[in-house]
Amino acid sequence: MSGHSTWPEWVYVGVVIALLCYVGAEAWNIERIIEHVPEDAELIKVTGQQWLWTFEHEDGTKEIGELHLEKGKAYRFEITSKDVIHSFNIHEYTVLLDAVPGKINHVWFSPNVAGEFDIQCREYCGLIHYNMRGTLFVADTGA
Amino acid sequence: MKVIIGLGMVLGLLVILPAVEHAFAAGSEVGEYLDRKVAIWGLFYRLMIIAFTVGTVVSGMIVWLVLRFRESNPKAKPTPYEASGDW
Repeated sequence: MSGHSTWPEWVYVGVVIALLCYVGAEAWNIERIIEHVPEDAELIKVTGQQWLWTFEHEDGTKEIGELHLEKGKAYRFEITSKDVIHSFNIHEYTVLLDAVPGKINHVWFSPNVAGEFDIQCREYCGLIHYNMRGTLFVADTGA
Repeated sequence: MKVIIGLGMVLGLLVILPAVEHAFAAGSEVGEYLDRKVAIWGLFYRLMIIAFTVGTVVSGMIVWLVLRFRESNPKAKPTPYEASGDW
């Protein structure tokens, strides 16, 4: 209509569409990879309640406020809550998932560094939320 | 037509590459597990690069438009519509 060249505009539109497609595809891809749970992952049931975390291993062992894992193994977590919504977070291993009453959420990870790491609640859940903490102990395999 | 072909090639690459990467990733062999920390932060950094690049280009274009097409710019001239004085 105006008679001027429109190719820069088409390049601009194309670049924007391409970048949006890349962002969407890459995020989708990483999410799929992360959600792929290894078949040999050990199950750990995590229960949040005001204001502590309870862990139950596959062999029935229960822990309160502490979680002992072995380096190099894969663990999948079934996370739920007894009262209000909490959020299970192990910052060092980029684990963060809501604990919702009446619902079981799943996440998995494999600790690759031995040591002690913080477990915390990342969803405001009441008066003592700030102190709803635990400790993850990762031991060297065979230790 | 060239633009459409070029755009198609770019989009094709962007769809094919992640699919190929996915096919060779996420090894499920015993003892070989994904490091989710690396995967998640890697994604974050890649998307931040795109976000800041787009932000720079868009804000740069807005600044250029405002400066170039301001009335006081020596190169400014009225559009045919404005020059007719009918509005």
